[in-house]
Amino acid sequence: MDAYLLSQYVLSGVVIGVVYSLMALGITFIYGIMKMINWAMGEFYMIGSYVQYALLATLLGPGQWWIALPLAMGAVFVLGLVVQRVLLRPMYVRGIERRDEYATIVTIVLMVLFRNLAVVLGGPNQFAPRDYARPTTLLTLPISGNRFVALLATLVLLGLFYLLVKRTWIGTAFRGAAQNRVGIQTAGVDVLRLDMAAFGVGVALAAAAGALLAPDFLVYPEGGAISTFKGFEIIVIGGLGSILGSVVGGVLLGVIEALGSVFLSPAYKDLYGFVFLICLLVIRPTGLFGERERTV
Amino acid sequence: MTRSPLLVAAALLVAIGAAGPVAPALAQAPVKIGVLTPLSPPGDASAGQFILRGAKMAADDVNARGGVLGGRKIELVIEDDSGTPEKGAAGFRKLATQDRAVAVMGQFHSSVMGAVQDLAEQFKIPVFSTQASAKGITERHLTYTFRTHVIDPDRVALWNRWIKQQSFKRVTILAENTDYGVGVIEDAKKLAAGMGAGVELKTVIFDRAVVDLTPQLLEIKSWKPDLFINVGIGTPTYLIVKQAYDVGLFPATPMLVSYDLPARPEFWKNLGDKGNYLTFITYYHPTMKLTPRGEAFRTKYREQFKEEPVYGALNGYAQVTLLADALNAAKSDTGDNLVKALLAGKFDGWNGTITFTRGEGPYWQQWTPPMLFMQYTRPDQPFTEAKIVFPPEFKTGELLKK
Repeated sequence: MDAYLLSQYVLSGVVIGVVYSLMALGITFIYGIMKMINWAMGEFYMIGSYVQYALLATLLGPGQWWIALPLAMGAVFVLGLVVQRVLLRPMYVRGIERRDEYATIVTIVLMVLFRNLAVVLGGPNQFAPRDYARPTTLLTLPISGNRFVALLATLVLLGLFYLLVKRTWIGTAFRGAAQNRVGIQTAGVDVLRLDMAAFGVGVALAAAAGALLAPDFLVYPEGGAISTFKGFEIIVIGGLGSILGSVVGGVLLGVIEALGSVFLSPAYKDLYGFVFLICLLVIRPTGLFGERERTV
Repeated sequence: MTRSPLLVAAALLVAIGAAGPVAPALAQAPVKIGVLTPLSPPGDASAGQFILRGAKMAADDVNARGGVLGGRKIELVIEDDSGTPEKGAAGFRKLATQDRAVAVMGQFHSSVMGAVQDLAEQFKIPVFSTQASAKGITERHLTYTFRTHVIDPDRVALWNRWIKQQSFKRVTILAENTDYGVGVIEDAKKLAAGMGAGVELKTVIFDRAVVDLTPQLLEIKSWKPDLFINVGIGTPTYLIVKQAYDVGLFPATPMLVSYDLPARPEFWKNLGDKGNYLTFITYYHPTMKLTPRGEAFRTKYREQFKEEPVYGALNGYAQVTLLADALNAAKSDTGDNLVKALLAGKFDGWNGTITFTRGEGPYWQQWTPPMLFMQYTRPDQPFTEAKIVFPPEFKTGELLKK
């Protein structure tokens, strides 16, 4: 095994890990604010890829992916607002006793519903938008132009997300809600509206991942299934609720899977991340950047 | 209390009278044929749709000619197996118990076929593999299992001939972890021994659920093969072509796709220029001379769908028509009689006469169509214009390498 080839494996893992971290960021952000797990995250990824494909194939033309991307994110953001308002908000205003179970059931039902809707509306076949860019080379790695674009766009989106959370009023409110939902209500923040916005932003991040990876990973009804698993693995590795953890966890998972699939066997590629995750949890139950719950 | 014989006789007469009008109604009840095929992911849903098209056209044709068994219509009962054994088994049970199907066709994924053929034995209902090619399917010598599709050892033997002819020395096979993929790898390893010295084989099995195969393709590229065989089914086939192109493995290294997915109309939409130079195995070519039945189907298909039929549709059509012929020959719709008729008869297929014999190994109740290796030599090339590069007797052009 030469160093050149090893560097290619590591880089391929880093690239895919960074893109998957968008998905993880969406999951962890929604969890941080609403304290619920959105099991239908992969389906918002899938819807993002469908919207991107539909826009490029019908309205915008193949070269306009950079216009389609924010539109796809916007469409899924609005869908997220509607889903949150209609299906999830009641569990916060009607004093539902088993809120976690309610959220689990609702989002799993959404997962099945969206997948089947995709089959009904788009058929069961695969689709693919035309390439966003020609294949290129990233240091030692020959890489698809689409994936290179996805990497850059992900870094930009992560930067924008950081600015949103750290430098804006709503970002301060998000951070406040993540720390203490009751506390920020006493400061006059409408936490229910904040939940809606958080859910919309979280699923829009998943949609961005779907739209960016659409030319490489295709568009089809079950297209989001794998990314959901990756997202959950990443947030547990990185630590639930940690933004930095999502990115570091994504890169770690990508590299571990890439190396495991080459040095051990690609038939068990999805297993290596889980084995690492279990080992990590034994040593550090909160994940790499997670914090222990503080109660008074 | 004693019953008057007169009363009993009267009751019997009433019963017979009541049953009288029911008998013709039963005689006209449709004969149900199950179409159990992948119509949604993770199965190869596109393949299932083509099979279904052919089956529906066959049922319409048979019904237009007066049906079977003295005027009973053929009714297709469609079940989606999603390419998963558990859904396939549930679908077969429903077809057997609730719908009372007399036979089931449409099987595409070998893993699903493996699960449903045991149920076929249990319920005594013939089941047909339409495009499932694992050799184990017919090698088990089950009474109710039939196949009108190629067997994997034959597929591997043919590509070995091609490898020899093209003097390829380093061959890589990337196969999915299904009955089909693993079976192909096993056959390839066994048959590689017979290819003589000088041909090295590297085999890699990947998880079908994985979407990023970049590390494996980089590893394969570093091994420097002179032929790369893509043994994915459905979505993974496309992913391998795309990602192999992106890492610079294909088309610099020729790629052979192990089945006829590139013949489908959506192929170029999904791959764009990346599909150029691809070689693939198919079982039908538009220039083939067909039987009168096959020719009539092809003409009607072109009129109805404004495109060239693909093999799955032809085979789906042939299986339903041969089942109709077998029902008429058996003069019965029971499984045992149908099996006897299938074994005794000669049936008009889409490109020849189909017979089922109980041969050795996987050649059990098996009929095999021809195999052709075709290559696209320019982007967006219609399937009708793709060159046949192997076997030599059908060749219309040489393998083009980039």
